[in-house]
Amino acid sequence: MLTRKSHSGGAARADFAAQAASTAAGGVLAATMDRRTFLKRSGLAAGGGALATQLPYNMIGAAEAADVPAGKGGAEVRRTVCTHCSVGCAVDAVVENGVWTRQEPVFDSPLNLGAHCAKGASVREHGHGEHRLKYPMKLVDGKWKRIKWEEAIAEVGDKLLAIRKESGPDATYWIGSSKHSNEQAYLMRKFVSFFGTNNMDHQARICHSTTVAGVANTWGYGAMTNSYNDMQYSKAALYIGSNAAEAHPVSLLHMLHAKENGCKMAVVDPRFTRTAAKADIFTRIRSGTDIPFIWGMLYHIFKNGWEDKAYIDARVWGLDKVKEEIMKWTPDKVEEVTGCKEADVYRVAEMMAKNKPSTVVWCMGQTQHTIGNANVRAMCILQLVLGNVGVSGGGTNIFRGHDNVQGATDVGPNPDSLPGYYGLAAGSWKHWCNVWGVDYEWVKKQYASQAMMEKSGITVSRWIDGVLEKNELIDQDSNLRAVIYWGMAPNSQTRGLEMIEAIKKLDLLVVIDPYPSATAAMAAMARKDGVYLLPACTQFETSGSRTASNRSLQWGEKIIDPLFESKSDHAIMHAFAKKFGFENELCKNYQMVKDKTGWEEPMTEDILREINRGCWTIGYTGQSPERLKLHMKNMHTFDVKTLKAKGGPCDGEYFGLPWPCYGTPEMKHPGTPNLYDTSKHVMDGGGNFRANFGVERDGTSLLAADGSASKGADLQMGYPEFDHVLLKKLGWWEELTDDEKKKAEGKNWKTDPSGGIIRVAMKNHGCHPFGNARARALVWNFPDAVPVHREPIYSPRPDLVEKYPQAADKKAFWRLPTLYKSLQDKVKDISKEYPIVMTSGRLVEYEGGGDETRSNPWLAYLQQEMFAEVNPKDANDAGFRNGDYIWVETPTKGRMKVRAQVTERVGAGTVFLPFHFAGWWQGKDMLEYYPEGAAPIVRGESVNQGTTYGYDQVTMMQETKTTLCRVVKA
Amino acid sequence: MKKALCAALTATFALAACGEYSQVANYKPGSYSGKSDTRPWEGGQFAGNKQAWEAALANRNQAQNEYKRAQ
Amino acid sequence: MARMKFLCDAERCIECNGCVTACMNEHDMPWGVSRRRVVTINDGVPGERSVSVACMHCSDAPCMAVCPTDCFYKTEEGVVLHNKDACIGCGYCFFACPFGAPQFPNGPAAFGARGKMDKCTFCAGGPEENGSKAEQEKYGRNRLAEGKLPLCAEMCSTKALLAGDAAVVSDIFRERVLRRGKANDVAWGWATAYGKPEQAAPAAKGEAK
Repeated sequence: MLTRKSHSGGAARADFAAQAASTAAGGVLAATMDRRTFLKRSGLAAGGGALATQLPYNMIGAAEAADVPAGKGGAEVRRTVCTHCSVGCAVDAVVENGVWTRQEPVFDSPLNLGAHCAKGASVREHGHGEHRLKYPMKLVDGKWKRIKWEEAIAEVGDKLLAIRKESGPDATYWIGSSKHSNEQAYLMRKFVSFFGTNNMDHQARICHSTTVAGVANTWGYGAMTNSYNDMQYSKAALYIGSNAAEAHPVSLLHMLHAKENGCKMAVVDPRFTRTAAKADIFTRIRSGTDIPFIWGMLYHIFKNGWEDKAYIDARVWGLDKVKEEIMKWTPDKVEEVTGCKEADVYRVAEMMAKNKPSTVVWCMGQTQHTIGNANVRAMCILQLVLGNVGVSGGGTNIFRGHDNVQGATDVGPNPDSLPGYYGLAAGSWKHWCNVWGVDYEWVKKQYASQAMMEKSGITVSRWIDGVLEKNELIDQDSNLRAVIYWGMAPNSQTRGLEMIEAIKKLDLLVVIDPYPSATAAMAAMARKDGVYLLPACTQFETSGSRTASNRSLQWGEKIIDPLFESKSDHAIMHAFAKKFGFENELCKNYQMVKDKTGWEEPMTEDILREINRGCWTIGYTGQSPERLKLHMKNMHTFDVKTLKAKGGPCDGEYFGLPWPCYGTPEMKHPGTPNLYDTSKHVMDGGGNFRANFGVERDGTSLLAADGSASKGADLQMGYPEFDHVLLKKLGWWEELTDDEKKKAEGKNWKTDPSGGIIRVAMKNHGCHPFGNARARALVWNFPDAVPVHREPIYSPRPDLVEKYPQAADKKAFWRLPTLYKSLQDKVKDISKEYPIVMTSGRLVEYEGGGDETRSNPWLAYLQQEMFAEVNPKDANDAGFRNGDYIWVETPTKGRMKVRAQVTERVGAGTVFLPFHFAGWWQGKDMLEYYPEGAAPIVRGESVNQGTTYGYDQVTMMQETKTTLCRVVKA
Repeated sequence: MKKALCAALTATFALAACGEYSQVANYKPGSYSGKSDTRPWEGGQFAGNKQAWEAALANRNQAQNEYKRAQ
Repeated sequence: MARMKFLCDAERCIECNGCVTACMNEHDMPWGVSRRRVVTINDGVPGERSVSVACMHCSDAPCMAVCPTDCFYKTEEGVVLHNKDACIGCGYCFFACPFGAPQFPNGPAAFGARGKMDKCTFCAGGPEENGSKAEQEKYGRNRLAEGKLPLCAEMCSTKALLAGDAAVVSDIFRERVLRRGKANDVAWGWATAYGKPEQAAPAAKGEAK
């Protein structure tokens, strides 16, 4: 409790007990009272008052009040979206004389109705930005030196070109960002492709990559199926591995509203989170045992016949095999592995089965495991069995983490795919080259070879191994020599100790970010030169669209000009493209605009229009900048529960045109509020499961059963995806215009540049362009087709490692050898030395690596120290007390010096650390390694300095949620 | 300010005379005598139109009630 | 006439601190001044509840009763304000306050100059011209004069914290309570600050100028 709210002198919680006591006292005080009476009673009142006594009044980083008179002269209101989590809270910024002077709530927004958490309510601080990286810098003899932009572009550019020449383009690694707008993230994919490599990635890898892969492979799209708003229709909600009250606070507005109207809420988590505090049911689970818990629930569901048989028969494939595995998980086994009693599991199962529609929510607690892909599929299976998918109030509500992590996943710098999940096959490249208006052969020449062009790149979770791994073991010619951190923190990736070694070994490290970030400090600690810092501006200093978790796109206006010498990310990309000699190819379809300093940048609207022309697969095609801007202006016309506009200029459309918003903008698809919803017509946002895995498997049809198509579809049966052949077979080809026919010939709905195939299928015949299939309970193309429990590599239970071991090691997996079983066997008994499970998570005040939020005095004030939550039993065993400094030590020899917060919030045998901190290294403040004046206000030990090895068997997601540690008094 | 000080001084004398009862100035509602404040609807955008100001607040108040937009 | 009140719904408060930063944002708080804070009981165990606390603008405010310089006044809307020019920073109000609202920052910032008391103003500024620079520097923004309500409540992430006319606020709260089926729920601090509902209704006479 000490560290959590240190502003009240180290005892906020304790003080509150006094505060609560004074409430009772207050009842007495409420009567009329003179000072005499007061003096007599002040003994009672003092306890309450003491709350404010010990505020630290030191003036670290006092917020600079904008020195603008309070008058209304020349004030202008500009609308954008909060840049933190994925709820998409709208922000109205009042700007006077170019200064962001006030922030007003946007009550009209159907997503947040004016509400904000601590982060959202503090975004105006971005207009101050005192701790920002103010100008380009480079590391010279271990000191940060200010340089000019021209110098920076020239030097970094020359070095990158030299490395490309000597070692090939794959020797570079580009870490993009979920903080980029759709336009910037998309442009980055294109930019790095033109440089010639697929070695790029962004936050989604370490956030929801397992969700995207697991869920998409189950039923079509790897995204949140419903919306935060739609949860108001839920009758029950199960949160596993999500602490939404801290990570997505405004989502609780909708959940608590639903609760008031009878929705039941359960939280299953190793921690009693703030979300759990609001739940009807809380069940503590051992970290990393999600599948046994879910199978345990399904065991009861099947035993009691609570499954939705008709739904399963019509819309699900391969459940029998999964059921065999499920029925092995008898309550005793579930308890052995998860620690949950039969009655507790039963209670949650019953809640979900008897209060329908019921929904599930998961976040990093499910995804960040070596079996993350299987965890999320188990959740999908639970919802399929209950018939909850494609149903308002049901679905899998997967809360994404960043303001545009959904968008960056959809169209951004992914190592395994071009924008829109097109993959990297030659046909995909040709599709995009066509959209970009560049020659496919030219792009191919930029790459080392066609093979490298079609091979997935290294993931951000493993870039350090791309540097450190023996060259003969990696699946590309050269090791990585240059890394560009373009909007991402290093302390969010695991194995920090090895990251320092990798940073030492690089030839070039570039940070492009509004803040120098922990990368700068780590680099200055490890090296003397070869590091550049380039200041990028935030989303408040440019315009563009961002995609919230519910797939709604919102257009953000530019609030203020870029602060200091910072530039927009797309301006920086253009500057480098110029240096590399492909600016004409990169910006062929864009109008260029000049900023105050004469730099050119592409118009963001034009980039979005290009996205619209290419991303047919996921329906990023209908969201033209004009339509999005109209939505932003008419927020009040949208219904809060359905997100549908009633009347007004956006009549019938869903807010933010949640993707898929199919076809051309002219086709006026309204967007899709809930995926796979057969109760609606496809032109009203209805749909069904995607036919993406063939039409038949093992002699059974993968297509949906007769009668289970979306409302009003001409084909009331299962059907494959549309292409020119199917259209001709059905006799619908003639409904295309002549121009459409020309363009659609030989194409399918995803590659037809006219959008004609989609138009005819949807508008004329009410059919879904991607076909109508069953969801796959059995994902045969994954290592574990049936999700099975596997103990974490670093497990506290050697006995269970025997029973539920990891699978075999992999040789060339995302270009790198990857360890599973061999490492698990090696460390099987390490829990004797490191007996406590170490897990990590979010705090409401901070986000991600925290460089941005810890630099904001209004937030930093609320969370001034890094801490670890330790159960009283473990603290007593180790001999320390609440508030003591302790060392958290891990099997990698990681050592984190943090304050102990002794609390029942975690169970005995589990330690929780927030992951937003950096700026301390093994007990030492790294202040001296930051550029002067640009260090975050609050610095602390990074949990990932000590995290261990472990990666998801499909997506290379890092294991952060279950590893081991021990705690000792410092 | 001056007035307040006077009050305090008076109180001190009273204290000497009457023992425990007069240690302090007696608080009477409305004894504030500092700088006067303008009412929120006076001046500025409402220019004395109290009704308009009240309507604005009433409207704003309902924005805190999400039941107005979602049952 | 409207009677301004705060109400924090503990069933909704998730301790996100949105109210706290909204306040800092609107009034450009210097480091160390926090007019509002969120307090939690039973932290980390079942029964955990949080509420957001600042000056409650009590009906019969103890701070007003004890101030030796009578620097407090109450507006017609029931907002308890104070005159920093008259405040001597003695701290009696701090002892008297059942909510721990008054603060005595001693930094160089205008808010805490010479140890004067600072507290929540219900976003109604102080005894300076409405919306003037002087008012903003000493007391923060005056949202009431703009026809707006305190930003902490307007931005609350779950609409747990309500602010405005007592009648409206209690209507909003009552609707929720009825839906929860717990009609006896009492909002935290309400009785302490405002007495029983029937007590709160009549406006105190002649409190403000």
